[in-house]
Amino acid sequence: MSFTEIVFYAFSAIMVVAALGVISARNPVHSALSLVLTFFATAAIWMLLEAEFLAITLVLVYVGAVMVLFLFVVMMLDINITQMRAGFMRFLPFGILVALILAVQMILVVGPANFGLDVAGFASPVEHAADYSNTKELGRVLYTDYVFPFEIAAVILLVAIVAAISLTMRRRPQTKYQTPGKQVMVKKEDRLRIIKMQTEEKQ
Amino acid sequence: MTLEMLNYAIAWPEIFLLIMASLVLVVDVFLPDEKRNVTYVISQLSLIVTMAMIVMMSSNERIIAFNGVFVNDAFANVLKLFVVGIVAMVFVYSRRYLIERNIFKGEFYVLGLFGLLGMMVMISAHHFLSLYLGLELLSLSLYAMVAFHRDNANASEAAMKYFVLGAIASGMLLYGMSMVYGMTGTLNIEEVAKAISQQQEMNIVLVFGLVFMLIGVAFKLGAVPFHMWIPDVYQGAPTIVTSYIATAPKIAGFAMVMRLLVEGMGGLHADWQLMLVILSVLSMAIGNVVAIAQTNLKRMLAYSTISHVGFIMLGILSANNAGYSAAMFYTLTYALMSLGAFGIIMLLARAGFEADNLSDLKGLNQRSPWFAFMMLILMFSMAGVPPTVGFWAKLAVLKAVIDINMLWLALVAVFFSIIGVFYYLRIIKLMYFDDAEENAPLHNGRDMQVALSANGLAILALGIYPSSLMALCIAVFS
Amino acid sequence: MLENYLPVLIFMCVGLITGLVMILLGGFILAPRKPNAEKNSPYECGFEAFEDARLKFDIRYYLVAILFIIFDLEIAFLFPWAIVLEDIGIFGITAMGIFLGILVIGFIYEWKKGALEWE
Repeated sequence: MSFTEIVFYAFSAIMVVAALGVISARNPVHSALSLVLTFFATAAIWMLLEAEFLAITLVLVYVGAVMVLFLFVVMMLDINITQMRAGFMRFLPFGILVALILAVQMILVVGPANFGLDVAGFASPVEHAADYSNTKELGRVLYTDYVFPFEIAAVILLVAIVAAISLTMRRRPQTKYQTPGKQVMVKKEDRLRIIKMQTEEKQ
Repeated sequence: MTLEMLNYAIAWPEIFLLIMASLVLVVDVFLPDEKRNVTYVISQLSLIVTMAMIVMMSSNERIIAFNGVFVNDAFANVLKLFVVGIVAMVFVYSRRYLIERNIFKGEFYVLGLFGLLGMMVMISAHHFLSLYLGLELLSLSLYAMVAFHRDNANASEAAMKYFVLGAIASGMLLYGMSMVYGMTGTLNIEEVAKAISQQQEMNIVLVFGLVFMLIGVAFKLGAVPFHMWIPDVYQGAPTIVTSYIATAPKIAGFAMVMRLLVEGMGGLHADWQLMLVILSVLSMAIGNVVAIAQTNLKRMLAYSTISHVGFIMLGILSANNAGYSAAMFYTLTYALMSLGAFGIIMLLARAGFEADNLSDLKGLNQRSPWFAFMMLILMFSMAGVPPTVGFWAKLAVLKAVIDINMLWLALVAVFFSIIGVFYYLRIIKLMYFDDAEENAPLHNGRDMQVALSANGLAILALGIYPSSLMALCIAVFS
Repeated sequence: MLENYLPVLIFMCVGLITGLVMILLGGFILAPRKPNAEKNSPYECGFEAFEDARLKFDIRYYLVAILFIIFDLEIAFLFPWAIVLEDIGIFGITAMGIFLGILVIGFIYEWKKGALEWE
């Protein structure tokens, strides 16, 4: 077993355990943190595939930003965990059965044999030299050959902005806030009223 | 790489629509609330210009642009024209409805236009990537539109269900695409087809990928057993959004099936034919039978959609040009019928009253004989009664199925459509033979009434002269 | 090219080992450890704890977070572009210009809508 294989299996094991943690943790915050670990392990596996840009983006965007959002949502929802888990044991046998069937199917259908990988001496892809930059390769096609999907991605992000704002933003008319401009412009007459009145007798 | 190599000129309708949608977005935020009509007018104008551009640029030539991710052919032109036209009709129906519910906001039109852009990208997709991105653009807009009426708990619930199930479907679709990529080494639809045709023996991974792609597509179209979201979303969403979801995206979904299964995976048609038979029979059965038990009109129409999707699949599974054109004819006319039916619901609705129960249609003939007649035409058409266009649509797909020696399937389809006639006729009975429970006048605007009448009469006219549209659908595939 | 990332792997291993050793050594092996129910209960100024430590967040945090993600993604697209800018030339600049232009429209929208204000 080569060194990269050892690293691959180590990270795969971490990923599977962390993914199990995501669905089995009692506390949703722990679930979210397990998901962070899953993403980290996935990033490492992508790195082994020499997809360095994707690996770093995964850490940057998912771990850095999406997980923060996840934690916000988890905090925001105030889920009753015991209630959510009520059906867990009841549905567990059925779930395990479905998972087993799926696993067997996957092994039969997408096993290495169907991709021609079981042949002895099947050459693995050539490892790139140290000066190879996956990011560069990606950039060369992303902005030229795939410019149409690239711009559509921008439109999707725009729709995401519009959707997020129109669904979650509420004006609160009762909120009071200062307008510094008005405060500065205020004159004595606006605030102060001088009333002439008789002095009262001393009692 | 230069701009000329992109051949971007054939995508002018899309580019124009994108510019206009962005313009509407920017103009709308600067408008005060009482001038919201400006947003509406710009949106409608941009749709009309887009339609004009599609007509002017239409040619029977098949042109590929943007390095093979975008294609324009006769098929795309016809579908795009219908999609844009239907969205314009939805916008006509929307104005009064939104004003009455106090949600007359620019975002509705912006999201509608961006969703339309997504549909056009899907229709013109020549690459799995552009197909998927178009689908996501459409879906994202739809999720937001369903939840658009924020104070309505049902709408939020519907949006949530739609979002979760839609995300699962997208995941399935992507997984299938990645399998196909693993086998063929390309995502370009034409090259995928070429790679498949070079395979000698059956490739199990390809079929595996095909299954997942088909599941994704079936989810989006709402074929049984992937239909769970349809009734809830149709019922929960504001009626105007339902009328958007139920019409144009069905046409885009049909285009997606054609691009993925027929153009891309055509070499595997023996495999997907059988899968479509199962989906189709189940859809017709569940859709028609369950629709009988509904008391909510929108929910009933949702189940009716499911059964119509089954019929559309009948045409596709014939796997020949006659079948494809029959399915296309069915999809286009179904979108028109469904638009009209939801239009009638919106015509009856008013602020604080959705008119979405069957009993709300009681005695419509006494309140408005003309619109009762329109609904009669629409229901006859959905049931497939001559001389409406629904009859010709059903006839065409049944003929396609019989031509490939699947008489039993045609008999099953006829059997279930006879069951379906029951609930369409029940509506007609409610309208003509029951007394009205309320007599509030139909007080919708003139624009809506004219559009709705045109919609109903189009169904009748196409039923009497189906040959022109039919010829168009046949010409597209020859 | 993977050898470039060997230091990262070593760093991760060292970080993991250091963290684990400190927790195990300090928390379980060297330090005295006699927990009981009272010691483990949360301390809230001597009172019984009133409620869960997790509070509901205002939805406005969510809006800020999602807008941040969208622009974070936009930045992610800028990195490969910056690296290959010499190769893709004017065409690449135009492509990115349109991309950023579309997002600027979104930015105008959110600014004008007041989504960036806290009220």
